Amino acid sequence: MNKVIGFCNLHTEPHLGEITKNRPLAALSFLGRYGIIDFTLSNFSNSHIDNVYVLVRKGIVSIRRHIGSGSNFVNNTVLGSIQLLINEKGLSNKPFNTDINNIKENFDLDEFDFDYAVIAPSYFLSSMDFRPLIAKHIESGSAISVVYKHVNDADKEYIQCDKLKFDPRGRVIKSSKNIGRTNEADVSLETFIVSKKALKKIVDSVSKVSELYNIRDMVNFFIEEEVVDVQGIEFDGFVVPILTLEGYINHSLDLLNYHVRNQLFQENWPVYTTTHNTPPALYGKDSDVKNSFIANGAIIKGKVTNSIISREVVIEKGAEVKNSIIFTRSVIGKDVKLERVLCDKNVSISVNKKLNGEPNETLVISQGARI
Amino acid sequence: MPSTKKVVAMILAGGKGTRLESLTKKTAKPAVSFAAKYRIIDFPISNCANSGINTVGILMQYESTQLDAYIGNGKKWGLNGVHCLMSTLAPKQTEQGANWYRGTADAITQNIDFLDNANPDYVLILSGDHIYKTSYSEMINLHETSGADVTISVIEVDPKEASRFGIMVCDDKDQIVQFQEKPKNPVSNLASMGVYIFSWKVLRKYLKEDEVNPDSEHDFGKNIIPQMLADKRKLLAYRFKGYWRDVGTLASLHEANMDIALDKGELNLYDDASTQIYTEDVYSVPQYVGKRGSIKRSIANQGAIILGDVDSSVISTGVVIENDTKVTRCVVMEGVVIKRGAKIHNAIIAPNSVIEENSEINLGKDEVVLVNTVNK
Repeated sequence: MNKVIGFCNLHTEPHLGEITKNRPLAALSFLGRYGIIDFTLSNFSNSHIDNVYVLVRKGIVSIRRHIGSGSNFVNNTVLGSIQLLINEKGLSNKPFNTDINNIKENFDLDEFDFDYAVIAPSYFLSSMDFRPLIAKHIESGSAISVVYKHVNDADKEYIQCDKLKFDPRGRVIKSSKNIGRTNEADVSLETFIVSKKALKKIVDSVSKVSELYNIRDMVNFFIEEEVVDVQGIEFDGFVVPILTLEGYINHSLDLLNYHVRNQLFQENWPVYTTTHNTPPALYGKDSDVKNSFIANGAIIKGKVTNSIISREVVIEKGAEVKNSIIFTRSVIGKDVKLERVLCDKNVSISVNKKLNGEPNETLVISQGARI
Repeated sequence: MPSTKKVVAMILAGGKGTRLESLTKKTAKPAVSFAAKYRIIDFPISNCANSGINTVGILMQYESTQLDAYIGNGKKWGLNGVHCLMSTLAPKQTEQGANWYRGTADAITQNIDFLDNANPDYVLILSGDHIYKTSYSEMINLHETSGADVTISVIEVDPKEASRFGIMVCDDKDQIVQFQEKPKNPVSNLASMGVYIFSWKVLRKYLKEDEVNPDSEHDFGKNIIPQMLADKRKLLAYRFKGYWRDVGTLASLHEANMDIALDKGELNLYDDASTQIYTEDVYSVPQYVGKRGSIKRSIANQGAIILGDVDSSVISTGVVIENDTKVTRCVVMEGVVIKRGAKIHNAIIAPNSVIEENSEINLGKDEVVLVNTVNK
């Protein structure tokens, strides 16, 4: 049996402005109880890939706080593990803080026992079983496979992602940036399946090609220069791309819809997360909640519409929260009105305030703010 | 300051819970759901964890499979650490043969090896079916400083209810001078909560004597405590202040759930991290309230989907309440589906039960009913 390891790659995460200023995207709250990284880690776990290395670019403390010992994610807590890796040299020399250098610094690939590695980013949320994809990779005989998705909304989504073209055998012959000129495209999900030999080739190439390249850049270079065969493998499941702030908010609110939600959350494919022993949510006598997610530990005494309320949030009496996302432990005071607002953690908004964003121009309130 | 004495807790969780009717057909009473996400036994176990008690034995007998799986290695309560031991203790076959636990005291006697190995200074005896939040530290300190042989936690109950309990009479120093187990004519309203701290050496001696006494029912309330009183041992009462409920009947289980849903403030799950209750957290999305749904004066757990009208109720994990339903004063346990148009009032709905479309159950009635479509 082949030994497969997983890399959850956080080096190429997009910036979502204020909410990712002090934390990696991977540690960002999602739907009131998850962290973005939970989806990729659960995909590894549910695919029975139990040795996972998280390639951390920055903010290792928030990642560690979220993942803990990793025992919530692995199948066997003795044999399995989730290890967080950082590129120490890269911390002081940011351009060199790449995923390849992170692997290079932490592993002697000759000594490291595995046959294949799956490298997946955090920001494409899906329920993805890696096992059939690995089987296709092996069958193709290619050195590297890239998982892609055929989409119809490339004019609006997946901007700046790689758009792939294939030969009749499914080998990638061209990779170019999606700048939104067509609706239809085969976009890379930046998920790579590599043999040990191919990973070694990627790592060894940096000295000849560029020390600044991430795996994604190096694979594109390989395609361009026809260095090795790169196979495209289609994923036909549902994907939620978290690439921009408005994308994050719109997709989160879209998931309030039962039919959308059922595409991301599949039966027999649990999404694991760190649990907090918070009590059930408490609804007061004047609570008025419509079309919203309410996480445990929340206390709802006011009105909540089309919104996502995270753990231990308090919505006071007379408050109205609409089309908004409220992060953990924020307090929305009496008679406060919020529309299209994202409150980061531990925000406190005092009585009677009225705060409004606009569609696609969400008002973001920074962590810990007192307003 | 934590006590330097070693305390081992033994939680009695073997009862059948007959008065909970079919709720306990396949589930031991301590494993019955409570307050949308907990099981009853989470309360005493969390209290132990929060009191720094690291060795806990769970004595079980009736329908022990589910309870045993739930307890696991104690990880849910953090009791799987280096100084911890969490053990489920069911009756076993020995050289003397195989025996069921003959009574609460016999359950401990049959596990004397467990206690000898742990070698505690004090043994804390608890019930697995009581709802309360506390730290036992104060009671342990009282036991230690007073030099009592046993300290019994007591609470003042309604005099009309007193005959359901073990009733105590104390002198002015709270030393127990008289004890009546479930008396017809109670002489006081000071009830035993079934929470005892024994000095282990003393308890061991009494258990050994009780084991061979043919007239004994091998019960703490009926035999051990009266014998110690007769021997003029030092029995001390510890006056418990706060919320405490025995949820042994459908009505009391319903009422205790309502106390939390209606936020009466007596048992607050939302403040004071030092007495937090720990439990199993399931991996599901947060609860969802639909466009035409409504929920007031209630608690609900993650994974619930509320599309109907909910008032004064407890909604557990994975419950689906469909459109045009009306759910009032109900304790809806995990996995229940209430179908379109159904109306239900004052009910406990057993796990995974299905309430059929447009059904009307217990409307306008004051008495609590149990609805169970799975284990009838």
